[in-house]
Amino acid sequence: MVTKNSADVVIVGTGVVGVVIAEQLLDAGHSVLMIEAGPRVSRAEVVENWRNAPLGVKGDTSVAYPPRPWAPHPTGAEKPENAYLQFTGPDAYDQTFIRYAGGSTWHWAGTSWRLTPEDMRLNSLYGVGRDWAFDYDTLEPYYVRTEHKLGICGPSDRAQQWPQTGARSADYPMPALPFSPGEVRFTDVVKTLGYNNIPVSQARNSGMPYDGRPACCANNNCVPVCPVAAKYDAETALHRLEKKGVTLLVDSVVYQVETNAQNKIEAVSYYDQHKQSHRITGKLFVLACNGLENPKLLLMSKDDRNPNGVANSSDQVGRNMMDHPARSFTVTTKDPYWSGVGPVVNSGIMQTSQGSFRSEHAGAYFRYNNFARNRFVTFAALKKGLVGKALDEEIRRMTACTADIVAAHEILADPNNRLTLSDKKDWLGLPKPSIHYDVGDYVRKSWEAYSQPIGKQIAEAMGAVDIKISPKFNNSKHIMGGTIMGKDASNSVVDVDCRSHDHENLFIPGGGAMAAGACGNSTITMVALALKAGDAIVDQMRGA
Amino acid sequence: MIMKTITSFALAAPLALVALAPVTASAQEFSKELIDKGRYLATASDCVACHTNHAGGKPMAGGLPMSSPVGTIMSTNITPSKQFGIGNYTEAQFADAVRKGVRGDGANLYPAMPYVSYSNMTDEDIHALYAYFMQGVQPVDEKAPETSLPFPMNIRASMMGWNMLFRPNEMHKDDPAQSAEWNRGRYLAEGAAHCSTCHTPRGALMQEQKDLNLTGSQIGPWFAPDITNDKVHGIGTWTQEELVTYLKTGRLDHRAQAAGSMAEAISYSFQHLTDPDLNAIATYVRSVPSANATQASAPTRFDQGKAGNELAAFRGRNYAEGIKGDQAGAALYTANCASCHGYNAQGTTDGYYPSLFHNAATAGDNPTNVIAAILYGVDRHTKGGHVFMPPFGDQPNTVNALSNVEVASLSNFLLKDYGNAKLTVTPEDVQVIRQGGPSSQLVLFARIGMGAGAAAALIVLGAAVWLFRRKRAQTQTAA
Amino acid sequence: MTRQSNDPNGKLMMSRRGMLLSGATLLAGSMAASLCPGMALAAVDAGAQSRFMQLSNLLIDHRLNPDVGARIAETATGQYTNFAGMLDAIIAIAEKKQAKTVEEFFGDIPEGELKDFAHWVIFAWYSGCSSEKRDAKVFTYEEALTFKTTSDVVTIPSYGISGPNLWTRPNVPLSAPMPRF
Repeated sequence: MVTKNSADVVIVGTGVVGVVIAEQLLDAGHSVLMIEAGPRVSRAEVVENWRNAPLGVKGDTSVAYPPRPWAPHPTGAEKPENAYLQFTGPDAYDQTFIRYAGGSTWHWAGTSWRLTPEDMRLNSLYGVGRDWAFDYDTLEPYYVRTEHKLGICGPSDRAQQWPQTGARSADYPMPALPFSPGEVRFTDVVKTLGYNNIPVSQARNSGMPYDGRPACCANNNCVPVCPVAAKYDAETALHRLEKKGVTLLVDSVVYQVETNAQNKIEAVSYYDQHKQSHRITGKLFVLACNGLENPKLLLMSKDDRNPNGVANSSDQVGRNMMDHPARSFTVTTKDPYWSGVGPVVNSGIMQTSQGSFRSEHAGAYFRYNNFARNRFVTFAALKKGLVGKALDEEIRRMTACTADIVAAHEILADPNNRLTLSDKKDWLGLPKPSIHYDVGDYVRKSWEAYSQPIGKQIAEAMGAVDIKISPKFNNSKHIMGGTIMGKDASNSVVDVDCRSHDHENLFIPGGGAMAAGACGNSTITMVALALKAGDAIVDQMRGA
Repeated sequence: MIMKTITSFALAAPLALVALAPVTASAQEFSKELIDKGRYLATASDCVACHTNHAGGKPMAGGLPMSSPVGTIMSTNITPSKQFGIGNYTEAQFADAVRKGVRGDGANLYPAMPYVSYSNMTDEDIHALYAYFMQGVQPVDEKAPETSLPFPMNIRASMMGWNMLFRPNEMHKDDPAQSAEWNRGRYLAEGAAHCSTCHTPRGALMQEQKDLNLTGSQIGPWFAPDITNDKVHGIGTWTQEELVTYLKTGRLDHRAQAAGSMAEAISYSFQHLTDPDLNAIATYVRSVPSANATQASAPTRFDQGKAGNELAAFRGRNYAEGIKGDQAGAALYTANCASCHGYNAQGTTDGYYPSLFHNAATAGDNPTNVIAAILYGVDRHTKGGHVFMPPFGDQPNTVNALSNVEVASLSNFLLKDYGNAKLTVTPEDVQVIRQGGPSSQLVLFARIGMGAGAAAALIVLGAAVWLFRRKRAQTQTAA
Repeated sequence: MTRQSNDPNGKLMMSRRGMLLSGATLLAGSMAASLCPGMALAAVDAGAQSRFMQLSNLLIDHRLNPDVGARIAETATGQYTNFAGMLDAIIAIAEKKQAKTVEEFFGDIPEGELKDFAHWVIFAWYSGCSSEKRDAKVFTYEEALTFKTTSDVVTIPSYGISGPNLWTRPNVPLSAPMPRF
């Protein structure tokens, strides 16, 4: 039974994790109420926001998603003194995420790398980091369901698949997408070095419509938004969920999770855009705001029973913040590559993420950034003072002959990489999050001894006449950790079904639960965890 | 669910039903060649399009709801299931269903089943079809939902009068003055392929107007255009090869493409026909003249519009503001459509995404198909792949649920800049298409007609009673 | 295999040379004005507008959309106090040289205000913006000339280029001809 302020299951957040669980529960016959901090916006408006942005800032995805005052998310335009995220520590945990209905899959690239069996056993195999609380074989069926739910395409040739170890119990629902000329060349070049540039597993409709959404037409705009919804994003689920009877509250910022005398979750409260507070009750609650907003909310929700924050008897809420620290090689080549044909991330080298060296330093994944290069090179060409034919040829040459290779590293779960509540307040008066972050020696050593040399080797093999290397680690915007999973309630926040150890009717699925993130983008694992949590919720509600 | 649309339906005084006991079908074995021939004819007749619920239903098992101007008609299970299908039909019963619109139990079918067209089929072809349906189709032991139309249409016997007026009951006969190819084409086009079911306008009693054959008709939310050989309103400018290409692939670059029911006809039927049969159909159709023949040269619906855009008026400005102003239509186009159809509406060079100028969809004599394409999208399976344009209506998979005002604005932009600039669309026009097309007043008229008839009967009866009583009184008085 | 240009434009653009040096600028001006119906051109009169197109066509040897030119001129009028004067000065330099290409006269433009302005005009057409910065004005995205230099291989991001999985194309060598635009 759904009333305006209660439902069987209350889900905070309408990103991919939230919508997947919502659909599982609706299909199982439960009433679901979803609360979204930000607005509901049409795809048309997002696309035009981006097209209307100046060429020089089109690399800032947030220009397509201006945040609402009550639901701030980081933007490239914000002045440092007004910044939403506060940073301490040697490395800035600077993220991009979208507080809109549909969440951050609005702007993701769609990259969907499964973890390998080894990725999930870092501690047992290499003596570093944390093991996952279950093995790859347990997660594998959920990966299959994720691949069919989101519509993830990939190669049928086993030699091109990832992981190379570990089972793949079902084929991809759609074949791999064609490479750009640049990727074809890159594949040949790195093969001479012993590397396999393989098609990216990606949530993109390949060669056919899928799930009522059209096929990819190579408009090369996946980041920041797919204009046609060929890329899966959670917005595509919203209309369908409404037809299935979900109640969706937008522009509603949950600020408190309320426990009762039995220390079960009783309600959540939110502010609307007029700063009025409302209270929503339910039988079971899911926090689906991913690994930054979830811990923030839990810490804000401290009460007498939970003095360190709801779900935080372990003191691990907010700790173990992870991402994929990245460095890029912008390569100018003598001969053309031609990036920009097809989707923006379409292939990469994953084998370099695996090996016994992981006892010493991080692995790395090298991806070929397939963004069209015009906007990256036009200003430099103009600055050279060229006119006429020379200008045309320079732009064309640089568009064809520059490429961007990114090395994304794994990071270990470190409790000192920690989100806390700063004393700065946002528009609603809620505390802005502060993150202390240090990528760690494990990553820095990899860069010195491993990934930088490999990157340079690749660049030289590409025929580089110039290589620009990013001076520091950038974040990949893959928010992980914050509400880590484990079997031991004293050093983890959630159990193997992403259920809070402390509150049996509170689930916190998503990136925050990941015990180790390896090198590949996290969304497919987040959704696999969501499906697993959803199954557990359905079972639990049946018993309830 | 795909709502199929039909326009034909029944009106007549109710008559008593005569139920016939079902007769057990003979258990003869049919040869593979005969079954294959029947399969081909069933493909040509496109049985599967209506007799299958395409949202996961089994082939020929019925259950597809078809919106008609007088209500929803559900297709039936025509698999050889003995309990829920036609497994008990004799060949004679099968022939009567297909050619006369009479079911095995003697009840009438609604002309959603185009028996009016199929009535031209030869006994030989009926025999092959029978073989296919008895032994070439998987039996599905599931009951299809029943049709229930509003009174008085729910009385099937009311079809008998309509059939007397409008069902030809004539098997095909070759015209000796025409070529074999033309005759084959006529047999298929008028019969199995039942082109006139959609492309011929209908009269007040929902019968095809034969004198306006193939000059175009509204068919639910879509408009099946004029396909006579008229050079202006029809397809008189197309060559034989072009028409065959269209039937085979569902599109003719820079001319037209199939959507709605025609996309289904291409997907399930035409693209599977042999080249000789497609050529025969093309030969026949291209010989059909228009009752409204016009001058030799004037703009057609295939050559309107040109590449261009109005971007400079709003690029770099705020989108939310822009769609409130004069450029709303152009801004809606750019935001929702241009990613596939091009910023100058030029489509892609491979033609998969068609240009919107030089496109019959934007330049017909009425704007139905522009509106319908926006609201419902396009879905067409061809040997070249699955052609798919998503919908922009209220469907679960809508890319963007555009309002009637937005669809009108967008349609007017497309018509003005790329199509037939003489047309305009109002939000009310959009609502009609959104609801599945114009509805018919026929139910109302039927009830009024019956009411008037009943009232007349009552008056007559009342007068008779009064007269009778008066006479009795007089008799008594006289005594 | 030969690649067709993806760039579809045709009928909106006016031809470059024939109109300009023969003094048909008035025609260009009135065309420009008539092609920009509901647009606020209050800041730029038709005369300055046509002079701006004349200058643009001298500096850039490509077909230019006068609607986009109107947008650029609008900003330029606000940004450069000596807008009309600079237009005249650079046009005069080109006419003095009887230049048929930009290369023939660009070197003659004196360093300083005039040369900076000439570079800015070229910048505006190629990038579609008034500057590289976050607060830049955007005149065009789709018709920014940078995309036309590579339209045979690369798309303008957010615009599709082919049917499903049909975008495989050859690695075009640098020696291949520049697309015509």
